Amino acid sequence: MSFLTIEKIKKSFNNETVLHHLNLSIKEGEFVTLLGPSGCGKSTLLRTIAGLIHPDEGTIHIDGKNVTEVKPKDRQVGMVFQSYALFPNMTVQENIEFGLKMKKLDKESIKQNVARVIELVELTGKERSYPRELSGGQQQRVALARSLVTQPKVLLLDEPLSALDAQIRKNLQKQLRSIQQELNMTTILVTHDQEEAMAVSDYIYIMNKGHIAQSGSPHEIYTRPASEFVARFIGNYNVLSRKEISNLFNDDNGYTRDIYAIRPEAFSEAPVKDGYEITGKIQKMTMLGNITRYELEVNNVCFIADHLHKIEEDSQKRETITLYLNRKDVISLT
Amino acid sequence: MKKSFYHYITIGIVVLYLLIPLLGTFLYSFATSWHKTILPEGLTFKWYIELFGDIRFLESLGRSLILSLGATILTLIIMVPAIFSIILYAPKLEKIVQSLVVMTYAMPGIILAVGLIRAYSTSGVSMVLITIGAYFVGILPYMYQGTRNSLRNINAETLMEAAEILGASRYTAFIKVIVPNIMSGILVSSLLSFSILFGEFVLINLLVGGHFETVQIYLYQKLSQSGHIASAIVVCYFILISILSAVMIKMTRQKKETI
Ligand SMILES: Nc1ncnc2c1ncn2[C@@H]1O[C@H](COP(=O)(O)OP(=O)(O)OP(=O)(O)O)[C@@H](O)[C@H]1O
Ligand SMILES: [Mg+2]
Repeated sequence: MSFLTIEKIKKSFNNETVLHHLNLSIKEGEFVTLLGPSGCGKSTLLRTIAGLIHPDEGTIHIDGKNVTEVKPKDRQVGMVFQSYALFPNMTVQENIEFGLKMKKLDKESIKQNVARVIELVELTGKERSYPRELSGGQQQRVALARSLVTQPKVLLLDEPLSALDAQIRKNLQKQLRSIQQELNMTTILVTHDQEEAMAVSDYIYIMNKGHIAQSGSPHEIYTRPASEFVARFIGNYNVLSRKEISNLFNDDNGYTRDIYAIRPEAFSEAPVKDGYEITGKIQKMTMLGNITRYELEVNNVCFIADHLHKIEEDSQKRETITLYLNRKDVISLT
Repeated sequence: MKKSFYHYITIGIVVLYLLIPLLGTFLYSFATSWHKTILPEGLTFKWYIELFGDIRFLESLGRSLILSLGATILTLIIMVPAIFSIILYAPKLEKIVQSLVVMTYAMPGIILAVGLIRAYSTSGVSMVLITIGAYFVGILPYMYQGTRNSLRNINAETLMEAAEILGASRYTAFIKVIVPNIMSGILVSSLLSFSILFGEFVLINLLVGGHFETVQIYLYQKLSQSGHIASAIVVCYFILISILSAVMIKMTRQKKETI
């Protein structure tokens, strides 16, 4: 049963269509990510859901209610902005209280609710600080707490972590996911970082130029990219033409599509049954932490292959390497 | 070395040029008489006592305060929300505000005064009110700049959106979130506007003149009667403006620290 339904949403700015009749359907308690390159319309879609932008066409239903014409303040959504948008004149406590005061809750329940979320986002002891006295990560957690405390039906997050450095970002991703699961909060995250999307989501919508390019679970998207755009966007896929594929395998049977994709880690050093055997010249070898990336060449076709890094790596001296590939790892694209 | 020597000389000359008249005025307001000597012949508080003993001076001071404060407060209440709404919700109208800003500079006071007299002298509206109206427009540039910069600094648009999503109406969001954050910037513009209006002479003299004697008009009349008293007025005025400037500078500093 769909909790948040977006039907045929269209939006143009200055005669340029930014959202092309999009359809999304999100279940209650689901963590959904909108993933796509800069300018593809992710923020516009999110802001439309929040009611900050009015769509030209289409409808939005939240929890069975048509909210297309409902003002942002009455939509019962929460939103965390990339720039945090904390109120500089208020302390952490006052920032978090704001939404509850607007709801006119009584003092006692405001106090309890605020204390609970402050604990949830691990900001105990910072209640009296002003936003400018906090680190970026702490500010972002205040922003999150401020949205969570009103118990919105849908939580919208517009690149909430992109201004933070890698370490804090990873931690906050985990924290965000566990809080979301604890509260069973329907959440939409906007990001252009595919690793982040894979790490936290139940479901991913990949957007490109105002269209949904593909949607599915992280596993589906990663293992079965539907188009060249998705394959290139979500990782380091080798994207090869039909000609390159037949050169690579010395085999042109069965490859009738124009374009194919192969994951770099699909190549293995151990023989696979009924698969391809490829011996390639090593052009370059790069260490990427726990994996080693080979740039290889076979019959004038260049591709990359990733391997888990092994201590006794001696390929420095090797000129060629023999790899094996399962036939089903050659994915045809549209 | 040489360079800095010339530096000091030039700066020294400029400072002297600016300070000597002030110093002269200051001394003159305390002098018993000062005609043929280099320095005053004797010092006295007589002129100040006379000045503050004159009910006309105190009344004119009151009128000046009412007029300048009134116009400034009116601007605060009407102009700030208007500029806020235009910048956030009708950015296309901002061009009109900008041309209004330029026009207030382009229009010389005399022409403005003549125009206003022609338009309103027979309308039955009190010319004092007309003056306040003219002042209102006159300080538009300062209020516009001050408000706009403050709004930019705090990223007002996103703050409004955040507040609205949290359930606040636009009015509540403006009062609770925007106003406290632009307050110091707006106070600085208000003080500036106030001190400009407080020293305004052309419009008030032409539009109402003796009917509504302000400090500037009083000063003008005293000039022909007693140079000492006129000097005392100027000194008081200067002290007031210095205090206002000090407050403004302090507030601007504080604002920078908090950002
Ligand atoms: N208020 C607006 N007025 C005019 N054009 C706009 C407006 N908002 C967005 N656009 C345009 O819509 C397109 C999509 O913008 P959007 O902000 O949704 O992209 P995005 O996917 O969030 O990108 P990013 O990852 O860079 O944040 C862009 O081409 C942008 O120029
Ligand atoms: Mg965006």
